[in-house]
Amino acid sequence: MIEVKGLSKAFGEKEVLKQISADFEAGVTSLVIGASGSGKSTLARCLVGLIEPDEGEVLYDGRDFVHMTAKERKTVRKEIGFLFQGSALFDYFTVRENVRFPLDILTDLSSKEKEMRVDSVLERVELTEAHALYPSELSGGMKKRVGIARAISPKPRYLFCDEPNSGLDPQTSIIIDALIQEITKENEMTTLVITHDMNSVIEIGEYIMFIHYGEKWWEGTNQEIMETDNKEILDFVNASGMMTRKRM
Amino acid sequence: MASFLFHLGRYFILMWRAFSRPEKLSIYRRRLLDEMVSLGLDSLGIIMVISVFMGAVITIQTGANIDSAFIPTYTIGFATRQSTILEFSPTIMALILAGKIGSNIASEIGLMRVTEQIDALEIMGVNSSAYLILPKITAAVLISPFLVIISMFVSIGGGYLIAMFTDVVSVANYEFGLQLDFRMYHVVYALSKSAVFAFIFTSVPSYQGYYASGGALEVGKASTRGVVQSSIIILAVNYLITQIFLI
Ligand SMILES: Nc1ncnc2c1ncn2[C@@H]1O[C@H](COP(=O)(O)OP(=O)(O)OP(=O)(O)O)[C@@H](O)[C@H]1O
Ligand SMILES: [Mg+2]
Repeated sequence: MIEVKGLSKAFGEKEVLKQISADFEAGVTSLVIGASGSGKSTLARCLVGLIEPDEGEVLYDGRDFVHMTAKERKTVRKEIGFLFQGSALFDYFTVRENVRFPLDILTDLSSKEKEMRVDSVLERVELTEAHALYPSELSGGMKKRVGIARAISPKPRYLFCDEPNSGLDPQTSIIIDALIQEITKENEMTTLVITHDMNSVIEIGEYIMFIHYGEKWWEGTNQEIMETDNKEILDFVNASGMMTRKRM
Repeated sequence: MASFLFHLGRYFILMWRAFSRPEKLSIYRRRLLDEMVSLGLDSLGIIMVISVFMGAVITIQTGANIDSAFIPTYTIGFATRQSTILEFSPTIMALILAGKIGSNIASEIGLMRVTEQIDALEIMGVNSSAYLILPKITAAVLISPFLVIISMFVSIGGGYLIAMFTDVVSVANYEFGLQLDFRMYHVVYALSKSAVFAFIFTSVPSYQGYYASGGALEVGKASTRGVVQSSIIILAVNYLITQIFLI
């Protein structure tokens, strides 16, 4: 599990995260939702140390990540899978090489074991056919799926997905959500999904945290979010047009 | 001035990190081979074309400027050889490669920065500066002396063509001049110099790319800065090296 305590971050004058505290449990797909620019990506980047927070603690199963030495951090990072908002695939590698890369870096598997792992992960994101293509030859949604495959191939303990289904069609979106939830249960992973997508919220939101202008505004389950009368949440949910459909 | 010191400090920190011990050697070995092939083969064509013209022009120019009966024409061969070995091959080639390889490196690394590929490497626990920069610098430092040797031969060959097909100088005199007072030290000096230049035209653009931020526009600017700065530094360092080792 990941415990976040009083996390704050400002860029110059601008306070992007304000005293965020939350517990993200293992085996649970936790969702972080909020409007564009509310600080979701910044939160994820602070949690994994790509941005140094100004204040606060991040505990990975009790290990204080913020105050670690660079070497200790490396140990924790080897257990982290991260899907970037823009996929961040390596341009000079094929799909297969992208998915294999973290295995080369992080594991001591034999070449054959790695290839088998790559095959099975590509199958799960339904990209077996595309394995020899380069990122420039993929559609946005395919890139997202390769990004997910790359993040999960080394079987991380902690998984971060920054908008895994933006740019995907509704069907693929459901498949990806189901996949993330499945592997989270399977491997007892601590999974954090950043999303705008109310479909995901309703389908897989066991724990949901709503960020509003850098503050934790609300937290609860997908049941609770449908019944809350918090104004900002209602605005957010209504804007997505989901409420009407689900409440019918 | 403060900003200059800031960049200088950050440059040296980046280099220090790039040269720290890599975590998985097998991966670096593959990257190094890839880089050597791409740097070497991709630059061979342009180096040869430029060198042959360079040698030809030096020969013609020297010939045109020696119209005194007291200076023997074999001086043309001698001058072509000396200026090719001491300056034109190592320095001009470094400037050409700074333009070609330097802009390439800065935009490649810069693009990786703005598309979060560098962050992705860091998340996996990879030392991104070592992984991206070290193979490029090493490959260029190792390959560049060979390119310069090739350039020397081709340039002197360019002069030879002039001797053969024009009456600027006879082939016999050109050859005699080429062999006159040859010092191996000059070649060693030139090759060492070219290795230093290779370090500059790879590390400076790497730095510019690594700290690029924003979008495609900024990557383009970083690439230009990388080329301009490495060219200026190469010329300044060339001046220093010449002062110290040849005079
Ligand atoms: N490196 C940075 N320097 C300065 N400001 C930044 C930086 N990164 C993010 N910000 C600012 O922080 C705020 C939050 O950005 P962030 O990317 O976290 O939003 P987000 O919630 O992920 O939005 P989206 O849903 O559009 O991805 C924005 O106003 C952005 O301008
Ligand atoms: Mg974001």
